[in-house]
Amino acid sequence: MTENFPLYLIILLPLLGAALNLLFGRRFGNTFVSLVACSAVAGAALVATKAVLLVASELPARGALVDQLVSGDWIVAGDFKLQAGLMLDRLSSVMVMVITWIALLIHIYATGYMEHEPDFARFFGYLNLFTGAMLILVLGDSLPVTFVGWEGVGLASYLLIGFWYHEDKNATAGRKAFIVNRIGDFGFLLGICLLFTVVGTVKYADFGSIAGRLMTPWWMGWPAGYWIAILLFVGCCGKSAQIPLYVWLPDAMAGPTPVSALIHAATMVTAGVYVVARCHTIFDTFPEAAKMTVAGVGALTALFAATIGIVQRDFKKVLAYSTVSQLGFMFVGVGTGAYTAGVFHLMTHAFFKAGLFLGAGSVMHAMGGEGDIVKMGGLGKHMPVTRWTFFIYCLAIAGIVPFAGFFSKDAILAGAFAAEFRMSTQMTGAQAHLVALYPKLLWGMLATAALCTAFYMWRLYFVVFTGKFRGTEEQEHHLHESPLSMTLPLVLLAVGSVLAGLIGVPAVMTHGLPESLEHVLTFFTGWLSPAMVPASPEPHEHWLEWALMGGALTISLVGIGLAAALYRGGISQTAENLKDKLGFVHKLLWNKYYIDELYDFLLVRPLRRVSVVLWKVVDNIFIDGGLTKVGPFFVDVFGAVAQRFQNGDVQRYIIAVMVGTAGILFGSTYWLAYQGIQGEVKVERRTVTLKLGDARMRPGQLIYAIDWDGDGKFDDTNVRFNSELKHEYGSAGQYKIVVEARDPVWNMVKRSDDWFFGASTPLSAKVE
Amino acid sequence: MQLLVQNLLSVGLHHYLILAVVLFGIGTFGVFMRRNALTTLMSIELILNGGNLTLLAFARSHQDMRGQALALLVIAVAAAEAAIGLAIVVGVFRNRHNTNIDELNLLRY
Amino acid sequence: MIAVATSDLASLLMQVAQVQPVPASSLTPAGWTPAWAFWILSALVVVGAISTIAQRSLISAVMSLVATFFGLAGLYATLSAHFLAAIQVLVYAGAIMVLFVFVIMVLNRDEVERVSDRGLLDKAIGAGALVYLAVRLGEVIASPVGPVSRMSKPAPEFGTVAKIGEYFFTEFLFPFEAISILLIIAVIGAVVVARTVVSRPTTGYEVPNAAGRAGEGGDDHADGDAHGAHGGH
Repeated sequence: MTENFPLYLIILLPLLGAALNLLFGRRFGNTFVSLVACSAVAGAALVATKAVLLVASELPARGALVDQLVSGDWIVAGDFKLQAGLMLDRLSSVMVMVITWIALLIHIYATGYMEHEPDFARFFGYLNLFTGAMLILVLGDSLPVTFVGWEGVGLASYLLIGFWYHEDKNATAGRKAFIVNRIGDFGFLLGICLLFTVVGTVKYADFGSIAGRLMTPWWMGWPAGYWIAILLFVGCCGKSAQIPLYVWLPDAMAGPTPVSALIHAATMVTAGVYVVARCHTIFDTFPEAAKMTVAGVGALTALFAATIGIVQRDFKKVLAYSTVSQLGFMFVGVGTGAYTAGVFHLMTHAFFKAGLFLGAGSVMHAMGGEGDIVKMGGLGKHMPVTRWTFFIYCLAIAGIVPFAGFFSKDAILAGAFAAEFRMSTQMTGAQAHLVALYPKLLWGMLATAALCTAFYMWRLYFVVFTGKFRGTEEQEHHLHESPLSMTLPLVLLAVGSVLAGLIGVPAVMTHGLPESLEHVLTFFTGWLSPAMVPASPEPHEHWLEWALMGGALTISLVGIGLAAALYRGGISQTAENLKDKLGFVHKLLWNKYYIDELYDFLLVRPLRRVSVVLWKVVDNIFIDGGLTKVGPFFVDVFGAVAQRFQNGDVQRYIIAVMVGTAGILFGSTYWLAYQGIQGEVKVERRTVTLKLGDARMRPGQLIYAIDWDGDGKFDDTNVRFNSELKHEYGSAGQYKIVVEARDPVWNMVKRSDDWFFGASTPLSAKVE
Repeated sequence: MQLLVQNLLSVGLHHYLILAVVLFGIGTFGVFMRRNALTTLMSIELILNGGNLTLLAFARSHQDMRGQALALLVIAVAAAEAAIGLAIVVGVFRNRHNTNIDELNLLRY
Repeated sequence: MIAVATSDLASLLMQVAQVQPVPASSLTPAGWTPAWAFWILSALVVVGAISTIAQRSLISAVMSLVATFFGLAGLYATLSAHFLAAIQVLVYAGAIMVLFVFVIMVLNRDEVERVSDRGLLDKAIGAGALVYLAVRLGEVIASPVGPVSRMSKPAPEFGTVAKIGEYFFTEFLFPFEAISILLIIAVIGAVVVARTVVSRPTTGYEVPNAAGRAGEGGDDHADGDAHGAHGGH
């Protein structure tokens, strides 16, 4: 069930804004730029809302609005044809709403945050470009179209991370993000190709019926679906910053803070989660090893990044690792089959993580760009709005009921706990045990990660907003609340962080409530499953569900308590002592497990060495020394000859034209007669056969006169051309034969005994 | 002899075409022999008129007025060519104080 | 003597005409035009053309060319192209030739040396190629497979202004408009190319020595550049 809708408008508006701002923005000033950028995104948001309302009210659960992106065929290569279309169904609706509205808030925020930026127009151009590309990503109706958006957001991300490219550090961070993403994108592209090879379709609309074909054994005994899923997941790892490709995201904080909020927290990095949910048919291929991989990587990342986040001192770095960790949560969600929970967490996370980043931006704005939290403290007094909104976000991310994070994180934890991975039936007992134990392990890791999350977020909150100011006098004097354009998005996002979770309350909590209220509270679950994605795994017993919920809440409270004990009112002496006592652990975490150094040692340096060899040996010696000399040599030689002809003497030019014309006329009229006198002589006793001309000539095209005995008089005249001419000699002897051919059309006569281009072999006959 | 007399007394397409060839040849000869740019321009006019003569002769032979229309266009082009050519000659003369085209050879390698 | 020769020639021609009447169905076509008109006009054209390229005096050359054009106008008239004949006289013999005369008067120089002795071999080759080309073309035209001359009498409106105008407003509309644009371009171009730039005295193409160059007006430009550069700093 599909219906047409001008979905292209949603994409076109931000892209138009980008074009306007990038081409003309600089000329028209900041007011124009912010107006164009914000109204473009606002327009997209309004159209998107209208479309989503249509999806909700008019269409059945599996229905979608469709539109063409490229009319006719998009890619044609032999039999391979691909159309590019747009599709808005319930899954993309969630993404589109999150993207457009949060992008709008962040655009508004950025008009305040970036007000002193000289390159205002470029910034908003890129930001609009990103929004457009992200919308292509989620609205694409097939993996290739999604891939276009995927690359588009990668480009915009690169441009924005390196926005302040004057500093080498920022440009390097941009390059790092780009290169690491390339690795992932390569896998993604291979996944698309493999999918097309095996299944023959890449359109999401066809995914419902491909499960059987995905079971085709492909490589190493695993079905094709497994390999496609793994390849796609490599791409998701790159874009969504999972182990081992997460290293770019913390560095990406070099970009302006609104960029970190929009791209590197709320939208782009969640693209991987979206793709896994979108391609759940592939990931669900039996045996579900791909899902186990996804969930395992997610859980590992969640725990890993959360532990790093505990000790970081840079405001945005803490948030960056928090983002990586939360993305890990989402991947556990989609990896354990709790697709709804993963996407739900994606949505709630977008609210509070965007808010946290914007709060960080607000703080750093007030601090004059300072990002080290140790130099802050007591900011709550000076910036109440930022402080209280930040407070709400921290509650949300820590997972305190009833804030958004609680419900989504609880859904993921419950899903992880209750998940069952369907593996081969021929497993040994021990293997089956391990597979059964795996979800519990995931749950354990996530619970630990949640503890760390609550701890480091509240550490951040206490260190920054409570206690005494630890910065310089000048900075303290400068402290101020941010302008309305910045505080308004903070407040709205805070409202979202409170309310967003309330549409996905677990069913067990809504028993006994009025039906209309229950419908609203469990809205999100019904929105996606079972129409879009399979239903999430749930614990069978209610008490278990309650217990898990209580456990999660307890863990969060413990984390907050710990943070409060150590950091309330400033960094306590206990915290310092603890840091000294666990020096080794602290150093390991502070240096992020030395992963960057490891990559540098394993990949970057060997590559650099190879490059140096290629440069010094191949490029300098072979190419510059030899190859590049060959072409110029020929050009030189030819030019030296050719330049003689261009001597500036116009008269000689026209002589050349005349000579050339005469030559062409001569050649073209001479050729036939010349061919006609070429021949061979065959002697058979007294009869001589003369074969003249070549096979392509038509009879009568030439008229011959033939002197058979070489006495200078023609014996036969007016002989029409024929393939063979015969002559009988009266007596024996050596005879010279002369042939004269006349071309009646061009009036050209040619004799075979001419000194000038005569017959190439003299004609003669020796008769016995 | 009969043929000669016939051709003398009865004038048809061939005569005009051969006259056009002669005119064209004289014009071309003038272009590459004479060194004065003005004479060269005049020779070009001769060439163009040779072409025009063929157009008109064929138009007459084929009873097709399009040949005449084309000849009129050729005259217009010739007028434009003469105007520009003479302007260039004047400009060159102002700079170099002669109009010998074999000395105007700056445009070369 | 002369009278005898003249009368002999006349009688010879008359004899020829009597003895060899031209059969209507012979190989060569029956004439379109009075033969004498063609021969006189073509003699005028050929002599005029040769004179044009042979005269040392430019004015004489232009006058020869005018004569050639008049002869051509006559030939056009024999081809039933009366309008073209008139245009030929008006545009060529009138306008274009007057332009030539103007320019010659402005330049006021006769040629000292008609043909430079440089590249004589080239010119000989060119002349040979040209002769070959002309002879070959003549041969082809004269050969039995050459163009066929159709002898029908032209329609009454053939060659009239009305008919040509009709073509220019129907089939030849686009070339007609294009030609008008070309003429405008030519007029403007001629003005631009030939106008005198008062502010900048002319200099030769010869590279002057450095000392001579410093005093020349051509350096105004360089001075301007230098000022601009200073302004930039």
